[in-house]
Amino acid sequence: MITKFFTKVSVRFNPFGKEAKSARLFLSAIPPAQRLSGTSIQNELLTGGSVKTPIVKVTFKDKTEMEVDPSNLTFKELGNYFDRYSRKLSLKESIESQ
Amino acid sequence: MLTQSLGLFPRIPSSSLLSRGLRFASTEARITVKPLNSRKTLLMDTYKELMEKNPVVLFAHHNNLVKQEDAFFRSQIKELGGQMTVLRNQLFQVYLRNAHLPDPCAPTPKAEQNRTHPLLPLFKGPTAAITFPETEPAKVAKLLKLLEKSSEKLFVVGAKVDGGILDVPQLHQFKTLSSKPELQSQLLGLLHLLSGAGLVKTLEAGSHSLYLTLQSHHNNIDPENKKSD
Repeated sequence: MITKFFTKVSVRFNPFGKEAKSARLFLSAIPPAQRLSGTSIQNELLTGGSVKTPIVKVTFKDKTEMEVDPSNLTFKELGNYFDRYSRKLSLKESIESQ
Repeated sequence: MLTQSLGLFPRIPSSSLLSRGLRFASTEARITVKPLNSRKTLLMDTYKELMEKNPVVLFAHHNNLVKQEDAFFRSQIKELGGQMTVLRNQLFQVYLRNAHLPDPCAPTPKAEQNRTHPLLPLFKGPTAAITFPETEPAKVAKLLKLLEKSSEKLFVVGAKVDGGILDVPQLHQFKTLSSKPELQSQLLGLLHLLSGAGLVKTLEAGSHSLYLTLQSHHNNIDPENKKSD
């Protein structure tokens, strides 16, 4: 997963639910150096009785927001979903840098 | 240590001796899935001890802690009297499935395993256990306050307190309680106030009637014995 272009990540999940696996793996896939260099990470825990739906929300460098419900996705699918936009950004960056 | 346990030798087929790899002619061989001296068996035994000796075990998700952060959290937890252990998920899940059995390392058919243990879903991703040897909600409150500030690095996802499984809101309720000895003394004081002698008699009644029953049974048996002799 390309995490380079993330500026803000917020994750909401129920640790006892089935979405926990992909949500937690997603959180742990963000390298610590990035956390230190300014990407903010927020998480909120749900319980069995809460009405809010689980969500993974990412803000990119160009302020585009993308969100997805991790309940029915594996970690790989979740990564691919955000990579689609990250690749666009990296292409743009490589063109501009020339 | 060794000489001590040798002194106890004939009577105690203690599992702690077995887990240390000590075996005498009188003790049965311990049968484990993985080799007896392997790391996996050792870890399973460690997890068993961790879960059985500590009444308060909090499970936390940790996000790629760098060395200083790790050292910081460990020292802070140590100051509160706890300990942080990073768990190996698969092994801990195996332990949870076999936790109700006398030896979780022994080979077990699937039907005997507890595959619906309520803690099982927590071990999906990097997990650490924070253990406290005493039930003291005040310390848990301090820990939760400490972790609140750095929730992007380490946050609690569930807990086991005195055999009960708590989720996070329940844990926040638990931390407001006063400590176990205090609660016990409060209860005792309340009982004293309410009852006086009546309650003591009621509590005594069970064992007293059992004694009487056994005594009468003893009396019944005795003359028969004499006759048969």
